[in-house]
Amino acid sequence: MPFIIKLIKAREVSIMIFMAAFFIIAGAINPEFLTGSSLSLLLKSSMILLLLAIGQSFVLITGDIDVSVGSTMGLSAAVCGALLVNGIPFWGMCLAVLMVGLIIGFINGVGVAQFRVPAIIMTLGMLGIIRGAMLIFTGGKWIEDIPNYYKKLSSLDFLGLNLAVWIGLVIMVIIHLILTRTKFGRNFFAVGDNVEGARMVGLPVKRVKILAFMFSGISASFAALIFVMNIGFIPNETGSGIELQVIAAAVLGGVSLTGGVGSVIGAGLGAVFLTTISSSLVYMKVPAYWNNTISGFLLLIIVVGDAKLSQFVKNRTSRKSKFNKPVELDGKEGDSHAKSNKVLM
Amino acid sequence: MQNLIRYLCKWELALVLLLIIELIVFGSITPGFLNVGNILYSLNDFVYIGIAAIPMTYVILTGGIDVSVGAVMGLSSITAGVIWSHGANIWIAVIIALLATVVGGLINGLIVAFTGVQPLVVTLGTMFLYSGIALVISGGSSASGYEGISGFPENFVQLANSTILGIPNPIILLIILMAFFGAVLHFTPYGRHVVLVGINIKAARYSGIRTRWTVVSTYLLAGLGGGLGGLILTSYFGSARSDLGSEAILPVITAVVLGGTSIFGGKGSVIGTAIASIVIGFSQYGLQMASMSSEQTSVVIGVLLILAVVMRQGNWREIKRRLVSKKIPDNSKRGAV
Repeated sequence: MPFIIKLIKAREVSIMIFMAAFFIIAGAINPEFLTGSSLSLLLKSSMILLLLAIGQSFVLITGDIDVSVGSTMGLSAAVCGALLVNGIPFWGMCLAVLMVGLIIGFINGVGVAQFRVPAIIMTLGMLGIIRGAMLIFTGGKWIEDIPNYYKKLSSLDFLGLNLAVWIGLVIMVIIHLILTRTKFGRNFFAVGDNVEGARMVGLPVKRVKILAFMFSGISASFAALIFVMNIGFIPNETGSGIELQVIAAAVLGGVSLTGGVGSVIGAGLGAVFLTTISSSLVYMKVPAYWNNTISGFLLLIIVVGDAKLSQFVKNRTSRKSKFNKPVELDGKEGDSHAKSNKVLM
Repeated sequence: MQNLIRYLCKWELALVLLLIIELIVFGSITPGFLNVGNILYSLNDFVYIGIAAIPMTYVILTGGIDVSVGAVMGLSSITAGVIWSHGANIWIAVIIALLATVVGGLINGLIVAFTGVQPLVVTLGTMFLYSGIALVISGGSSASGYEGISGFPENFVQLANSTILGIPNPIILLIILMAFFGAVLHFTPYGRHVVLVGINIKAARYSGIRTRWTVVSTYLLAGLGGGLGGLILTSYFGSARSDLGSEAILPVITAVVLGGTSIFGGKGSVIGTAIASIVIGFSQYGLQMASMSSEQTSVVIGVLLILAVVMRQGNWREIKRRLVSKKIPDNSKRGAV
């Protein structure tokens, strides 16, 4: 366990270093990027990705994957918009929107845990279903005329930080504490680390997996609430394509796709970093269409670099423990494939 | 092995049955559907999915996945367009575009095979990278996002829009690819290596197969498949855009998995993939004829995908047993990390 903690710390530290380097470069090119107002704007615009990445971490930590979050966010946003336009009071609307994510997550979880559909297939299928359901629900039209009181929430500030930022940070800290300090939270790591082992020591594996997907769904709904608040209307393509960014953010932050390793703080940092890249381009006077190239390149560099690093750490730690000998025998080659098989379960 | 073949036959038979049911259902809903000309013409709309899905079968057979294939489509399309618009011959542009996609696939494969990072993560990164490069190429040559580059020479546009013996060219290409990749997979040592890498990469390595290069080659082929798909789309629409095929990844993977290839690798067939891509295409086309929008048909595809997997696991207890027996050594290793 101490090794894993050490590893997690290393991941978080390495992304912090990369981020600091990036900030220094961007700041050197244009000092305006480092002013308080642009940084708080940056935090505000990274909250959607951050919330989604937190939810995704649960699923990734249990060793599954959820690619349906983007469409869940889209449908939640559409429900949110429709209810607001029809004058449903705030709390009732929030409850209904969160229920959308909860139910979708539950369906995903049951499919994966009960019917043993590989997670990527289940959520890929749900991606199509939910996206279609959203378009049927909205009739293919954009939802506009969101009441002003709701849109104004996006400009509420406390202590210099935006309301959305506070929501994101509070959720992140609470979930981090739950995951690391409670038995309930450690169940997720146990299931992701070793399903059979978790089952044998009597953990409710199915329930844990279903819960992970439900958290992911709820996080998508939270993101949708903030999306509607910030944007003020709901286009048809809300959230499409964001699922891959979310996974990229979580991976960037050190959450392993093989399960059992990662932290929501790391995932959150990854989300902020990805947003930093895209929003710093304006300040560096780089055309916006460079965004994907730079994000993809940095993602590859960080992930490959980190894989090499953790291989090194693994080799060192495995010498100390007699249980880890098979890992050494394994060599490096083909490791990724053996792992990928697990990932896609 | 005989069991495997029997199982594959059964699954492909089920797919053909599904296809026939689709034809009957859609034929009775919309009278114009069963017109042979219509059907062949409609195949054109989604043949690029099949072209990309066939080599993708190899990647998934080895236990990997390539989500960058949609980005590769856009990359090949815009590369060909930009090179052509700078005065090069269209066929030279096409060849350079195909080379670019091969390089893209090669990069995927090299990173996956030599760094030990999971294929999903690698191709996620390259997906951003390639779609980004496509955008940069497009933006750098100020091709507008919606119209792209158009006005290609007639013989290039005719490539996807003309017919030989009444069969549209893209379908002929699909059939050639299916025959070629199917034959390679089922009748050559290379094909068996691909399957063996998917079943057990360590056993494959110990039996002298150059597993790394087998893995690299599958990603290379997947890149090439994406490139071909992108160029067929370019020719079909008569315009090159950087976002062409960006939505293709869901139907491509659906086609492979619906075609009976196990997402865990080691089991699957090219013919299944080809039939499945036609099943998906017909359901899209049929639903559109029944006045559903293309986005709404994604509901049906999603349901089809999940149901196919659930059904197959319910019917075939042996797969389940195999999966379970496969899972235990994996997990013990995972526990050691």
